[in-house]
Amino acid sequence: MTDLLTLLVQQSVNGVYLGCLYVMVALGLTLIYGVLNQINFAHADFVTVGAFAALFTATRFGTKVLGLPDTGAYLLSMVAALGAGALLGLAINAAVFAPLRERGDELRPLIATIGVSVLLENFQLWLLGPIPYQFDSPFSLETIRIGRIFFTAQSVLVVVAAALAIVALYAFMKFTFLGKALRAVAQDRETAGLMGINPNLLIALTIVIASALAGVGGALLGPVLVLTPFAGATVIVKAFAIVIIGGFGNMQGTIIAGLLVGVIEAFTVQYLGSGLIDLVVFVLLLVMLVVRPTGLIAERKEENV
Amino acid sequence: MSVLLQVENLELAYGEVPVCRDLSFQVEEGEIVTLIGANGAGKSTTMRAVAGAMLPRRGRIIFDGQEVTQLPAHRRLLAGIALVPEGRRVFPALTVRENLEMGGFKFRGERQKLDAQMARMLEMFPLLRERAAQPAGTLSGGEQQMLALSRALMSAPRLLCMDEPSLGLAPLVVQDIFQSIRAANAAGTSILLVEQNARYALDTASRGYVMQTGAIIASGPCAILKQDGRVKEAYLGRR
Repeated sequence: MTDLLTLLVQQSVNGVYLGCLYVMVALGLTLIYGVLNQINFAHADFVTVGAFAALFTATRFGTKVLGLPDTGAYLLSMVAALGAGALLGLAINAAVFAPLRERGDELRPLIATIGVSVLLENFQLWLLGPIPYQFDSPFSLETIRIGRIFFTAQSVLVVVAAALAIVALYAFMKFTFLGKALRAVAQDRETAGLMGINPNLLIALTIVIASALAGVGGALLGPVLVLTPFAGATVIVKAFAIVIIGGFGNMQGTIIAGLLVGVIEAFTVQYLGSGLIDLVVFVLLLVMLVVRPTGLIAERKEENV
Repeated sequence: MSVLLQVENLELAYGEVPVCRDLSFQVEEGEIVTLIGANGAGKSTTMRAVAGAMLPRRGRIIFDGQEVTQLPAHRRLLAGIALVPEGRRVFPALTVRENLEMGGFKFRGERQKLDAQMARMLEMFPLLRERAAQPAGTLSGGEQQMLALSRALMSAPRLLCMDEPSLGLAPLVVQDIFQSIRAANAAGTSILLVEQNARYALDTASRGYVMQTGAIIASGPCAILKQDGRVKEAYLGRR
């Protein structure tokens, strides 16, 4: 292999890894938008909560109480982050979003997501302080080499987790009664109600799935973030860009856009320097908004989820 | 015959805008009853209130002896009321089969019952069998109306509410639809029919109510309504 080719493949591999991290976060955003027609500004904080839940599960519980090896503790922490995200989503929907939706107002639930975001950030700030936590994944230390291409075991874990999440989500939507009902609610909430489907239950389920994905995303992102109570915010900006580039509410578009942004980011680091990442991503976003405002995959909204 | 649906002094409004006042009517077990009236008379709103898609300001809705006035739509379906909404409202990105499955959502735990209902519907509407794997959004208007009707019948309702089934469809297709409505009735489903085409409606139903600007102005057996001067003049064309 020539040096150039090696470099291209190496950066593409790095890009896919980054892209998978973003996809884990962006999928939830797009899912909530697709079903509720609402932007969730608190999504970033579900990522942060997931990251901290994973950190404490791995360091305080997995290794110390259960006596697991570091790798086992990290895998366990991913499960804990999934659970923490799901539970938090369930609780916040029941306490805040559902009662506001009941009143039939569209703006208030949206503003409430900002309120929930501020609340979660400050609660974590009070509990954990502003100093960044160190969260190492044991899989980051293990390097795998194929020919002249290098990657860590962590990146394999991330890609596998993202692939599993995507396959599980598609299988759920396509083959289960509840998944089909969820698509029905996304397409026409009132008519879904006329079918005997309780739309509120499916909306709750959507929020739980999205939050669980964000939680796992947090566990996977923890080792690469500067882990403070505001850590999620650094990823969410990019996740929003991905969701818009992919077409709001469109799962397939979000996945493609996530991988695309990851790869573009890897090459930006290589050729332009890491300081320009956000610039490049947001120039891409602006170009998309001008050239193709419906997103990569332009379908009618109801066909997305 | 016993009363299946009893609507008493219903008052309906969108926000502050009143649509219907003091509506009372009933559907007896096994009947086809029609609400006719001009555009904007409040027929569709009344149907939505019966199916639970909107809650009334005042009045009572009693179904099969139980008060359902405040029940949301998904609970009314469980009670036995199904609505074929105006404009059909099939789920465009779901396949025909998936649309039917949604209609039978209440049987999701009883696979055999669901399969039996599905088989019945595909037999009743062979065209849907051919299109089973196609997204519903790709069907023609008439096919979508067939799908919306069979989707509602999937739940084996005791009362089927049909809102403007003929809207935007060719006369031949409309005849097919009304044929199917009569077939569903013959199989034991009571029917409440809202229809702009008064001639079709009065030919199909046994009793009717005439609505004008949110109130019922006449009612009776269809044979008599057809002779009513006001009905003739307003809805059947002068003769």
